[in-house]
Amino acid sequence: MLSCKKSQDEGVLILTKVPAGSYDPASREIESWRYAPGAQIVMVDPVRPASARILTGDFHSACYPEISYDGKNMVFSAKESENDPWQIYEMEIKNGRYRKVTSFKTDCLDPVYLPAGRMAFSRYTENDTVRSAYSIYTGNLDGTNIRQVTFGPYEELATTVLKDGRFLCVHRNKLSENLFPVLEVMRPDGTKADMFYKGGKDTRIISRARQTGDGKLWFVETSGESSGGYDLISISYNRPLHSRINLTKETSGNFNSVLPLLSGKTVVSYCPEGSDHYALYEFDAASGSLGRLIFEDTEYSITEAAEATKYQRPKKLPSEVDMAVKTGLLLCQDANFTGYKPGGMNTNNRMAAMVEILGIDTTYGAVPVEIDGSVYLKIIADTPFRIRTLDKNGNVIAGPCSYIWLRPNERRGCVGCHEDPETVPQNRIPGAVRKDPFIIPVHVTEIKEKTVELE
Amino acid sequence: MKRRLIKLSITIAVLIIAGLIIYPRFHRWARAHVNSKTAVEDHPLNCLSCHLSTQKTGLLSKLINAKYHSPFNIALSNDGKTLYVVAEESNKLLVVNTEKSKVTGEIEVGERPHTVILNNGNTFAYVSCQWADIVSVIDLRELSVENTLKTGNGPAGLALSADEKSLYVVNSYTSDISVIDLSSGRERKRLTAGNNPTGITMSPDKSRLYVTSRRSLLVPYGDPVVCELTVIDDNTQRIEERKDVESAYMMENVDFTPDGRLALIPLIRPKNLVPSIQVERGFMMTNGFGVVEQKPEGRVIQLLLDEPNEYFADPFDIEITPDGKSAFISHAGVNRISVVDLDSLRSLLENTPYEKLDYYSNHLGISSRYVVKRIPTGSNPKGMVMSPDGKLLYVAEHLEDRISVISTESLETVNTIDLGGPRRITVARRGRRILNNAGGTFQGQYACYTCHPDAHEDGLVYNMASKDMGRNLANTQSLRDIGDTPPFKWNGKNQTIYKQDGMRFSTVLTRNEPFAYKDLDALVAYIVTGIPYPPNLLYNPTGELTEIQKRGKILFERTHDNYGNEIPEKNRCITCHPPPYYTNKSFEDAGTLLASDDSMLFDTPHLNNIYASPPYLHHGLANSLEEIWTIYSHNDSHGTVNDFTKIQLNELIEYLRSLRGPEYYKEDKKLQAKVKPYKNH
Repeated sequence: MLSCKKSQDEGVLILTKVPAGSYDPASREIESWRYAPGAQIVMVDPVRPASARILTGDFHSACYPEISYDGKNMVFSAKESENDPWQIYEMEIKNGRYRKVTSFKTDCLDPVYLPAGRMAFSRYTENDTVRSAYSIYTGNLDGTNIRQVTFGPYEELATTVLKDGRFLCVHRNKLSENLFPVLEVMRPDGTKADMFYKGGKDTRIISRARQTGDGKLWFVETSGESSGGYDLISISYNRPLHSRINLTKETSGNFNSVLPLLSGKTVVSYCPEGSDHYALYEFDAASGSLGRLIFEDTEYSITEAAEATKYQRPKKLPSEVDMAVKTGLLLCQDANFTGYKPGGMNTNNRMAAMVEILGIDTTYGAVPVEIDGSVYLKIIADTPFRIRTLDKNGNVIAGPCSYIWLRPNERRGCVGCHEDPETVPQNRIPGAVRKDPFIIPVHVTEIKEKTVELE
Repeated sequence: MKRRLIKLSITIAVLIIAGLIIYPRFHRWARAHVNSKTAVEDHPLNCLSCHLSTQKTGLLSKLINAKYHSPFNIALSNDGKTLYVVAEESNKLLVVNTEKSKVTGEIEVGERPHTVILNNGNTFAYVSCQWADIVSVIDLRELSVENTLKTGNGPAGLALSADEKSLYVVNSYTSDISVIDLSSGRERKRLTAGNNPTGITMSPDKSRLYVTSRRSLLVPYGDPVVCELTVIDDNTQRIEERKDVESAYMMENVDFTPDGRLALIPLIRPKNLVPSIQVERGFMMTNGFGVVEQKPEGRVIQLLLDEPNEYFADPFDIEITPDGKSAFISHAGVNRISVVDLDSLRSLLENTPYEKLDYYSNHLGISSRYVVKRIPTGSNPKGMVMSPDGKLLYVAEHLEDRISVISTESLETVNTIDLGGPRRITVARRGRRILNNAGGTFQGQYACYTCHPDAHEDGLVYNMASKDMGRNLANTQSLRDIGDTPPFKWNGKNQTIYKQDGMRFSTVLTRNEPFAYKDLDALVAYIVTGIPYPPNLLYNPTGELTEIQKRGKILFERTHDNYGNEIPEKNRCITCHPPPYYTNKSFEDAGTLLASDDSMLFDTPHLNNIYASPPYLHHGLANSLEEIWTIYSHNDSHGTVNDFTKIQLNELIEYLRSLRGPEYYKEDKKLQAKVKPYKNH
């Protein structure tokens, strides 16, 4: 049964619906969490719900469309038959004409548009050394020049492109079951990857984060704070680590996704308590209350919505990546600095004498830290590593940190080691940059590569 | 008739054929020409965007450009009914009726007015004229200039003594303070201040004045900046104290809380010593304010106004409400006013150990403890003034030719007052707005203006990290009148300003989407046409050189040394530094490379107004002109000078200090004829 109610000024919505009962947002498995078999993409004019049209009837399963900046096209992930891997397609919304963009042997999910005719998506990347996981790739919309841009042992999924041009993705660590959910932010070339938001222990982020017109980001987290447990969370773009508000703490039922509309209204995918399926509702963020039902199909769960309308494209950020370069540069201003400590930073007798750089199952070596705590490294690019600090006897003081990577020719700076991410550097010349950087892995004595001067 | 028709047809056909032949060639040429100027291949082919908008002189320039008011600082009468607005560009003091929101009078003052203050009785206004070295004294009853007071060089901030018998004038270019006796109109004494001071404010108890500075004091090379806050005892009119504000600069203004317990100073905390490898995490600039506790052993604390993903560039002025509860800070770079809750600030100061406050000076999250709102404004908000009842805040929107009126209760703009400037926004004006706005930089962290205040330079050396970190440190260069002095950058890699501010600029500096071509054209138009040099009133006010300067000129132009030996052409000052710009626009080796520099030749810098640009040389190591030769020139590597006596060196330096804008030297055909074009190796 379809039902819908509408007020006058809403545009066309593009919905993903999955067979009711097949959908388990809390599942870690991608097939259950986001990409359920039999999923369909439906275009709905809320004024005339009976005219709801399946756009992806040719596909076995199709879901999670993102709309182009001119509002005319959408990219989505689909499989033509049950045993096919998920691939990326692009469709003209008006006439339903579509074309296949990717043809990989592994799943390609969660595509998004990037400026200048490009796109990004997550692809299951099999890797003997790093751990197979969903990494982010970017490429041209015609399917050419597709390159991997993330290299950690992480799943990077449900990407959003922020207005400032960076990606925001739901980030899950493949090497640990029991960690905090993170929204990771990075530039579209995979540089400057950093934690944007960190949720509570044993919770999960189950939807894309959506940016509102007033500087907020909304997403759904399995917070366990309400009776249903899947809540709509708001953070501010300006200070995401310390601005979390649970908008639906007092609301029963479960949320699955959220979409701020250009009109200023908000729609959510919501499942009332006792129901077995999600439907699309209006939502008032100010009061945290649900509004009218917009669209429902009792045989399906409406898991996500997109608005088929023109919108301002994100900034097109420049890239410092040069694929002819094999390394990146990392500067840490003070490996002993972890944050404020009463009595000063150096009350701990155990000062870092060295930093050790660790790979997934190996060590890349340890190098000395300068007297001011700084360290300057030249690291093989596109290879995940972690860093920990050692005292003069080789004992671990702190770390290792999370896995990071450097893109070819990337220059990256850290203020300290596991420091408060809201700290900026002190204004001083790090002693380490008065010398050449240490090459990592340490057994590599020379790297012949192109030297790139950016200016 | 038929013959005429045939003739006409043939003519048209010939023209079409000629066009078809000529046009593709012209188009190819135009494409190549624009590509070479812009360093991209898709800049629109629009002759006018370069050749019209960049006209500096002549009829076309007069037609396409406009003269704006550009309100800078303001003062308000005691009854709140009359606003006095310094119109920086039109050289006027505008009189505004606040009730009618209308300009009711205009008074011509000296060139480039900076600040206006009123005496207690509101019978006189004093206007500092930064490019005229005077203060205009205006009789407010007659609305006319009654007197002109001679000051030091570059008068900026003004304050009256408690008894109103003296006027303190902050001389921004000579870094001192004139104390003028108002009864005689003469300067009675001169006090030294910090470097490039501008702001001055009297404490509420009328006992002392605070003078803020913009540029750093001299510090050992590689040390963080230190800016001076100068404290004057009003009773003795002597310097009472010099406070160092560390790691901060661009302290433009200051205000006290009404109880006198705190003084607040907007400031910038640059990260010029940190390799500029990213903008994220505040790696280039942070913006905040200083808090100076007014008690024995009072601390100087610095806190940020920025947030982790948004920065508030170029804080300029501060106004505190009469009840001492709120402070308003204008951010010229992002068109915002930050509202600071002072009770929250006081609580933070009282309950936080000093070392933790020191930690907070580099913490982007701390502003959430005391910033309650950011109020949007028009372009480039600068000076502000509060109404006597504290209910309204007036803000000079410098590049909007407008005053905005903000309710301090609702924290919303309730009115705007049009100052009557030109309605149309010219291309150059748009370019000026772009230069002053941080919107082109990732997360609004800094604007072009931040490193180039007043389109000049900030006196700092930066680690641009273009290739490796720690190498090729570079001294900021001025943007004044550079349109005719390509190439650009110390290594001369950018042949045009388009290229300088184009794609590479966005990759290395702003780390943001490059300027759209329309904006880039506007920025170029402004840089080429809109940034004149201030007059060199300090060393050469009339063009008539002193005797010592004349001797220095002879040394500058000499062809033989003291022993009669001919100086090789490439080692003569005049060869590499010919007028009118005192650059041959070629690449040279002055023997100034450091071990941390890559091997390179340098684009010869121009020397106009060189006295105003310390430190010197590409690495900024020479703190004075003298040091260029006494410390950093070996074996006559930077011109033949080793035969000089010390007096001769002094004379040469006096001549260099006398150099003015290029417009004064373009007519010197005799001198230009003496200089043969030099082809460097």
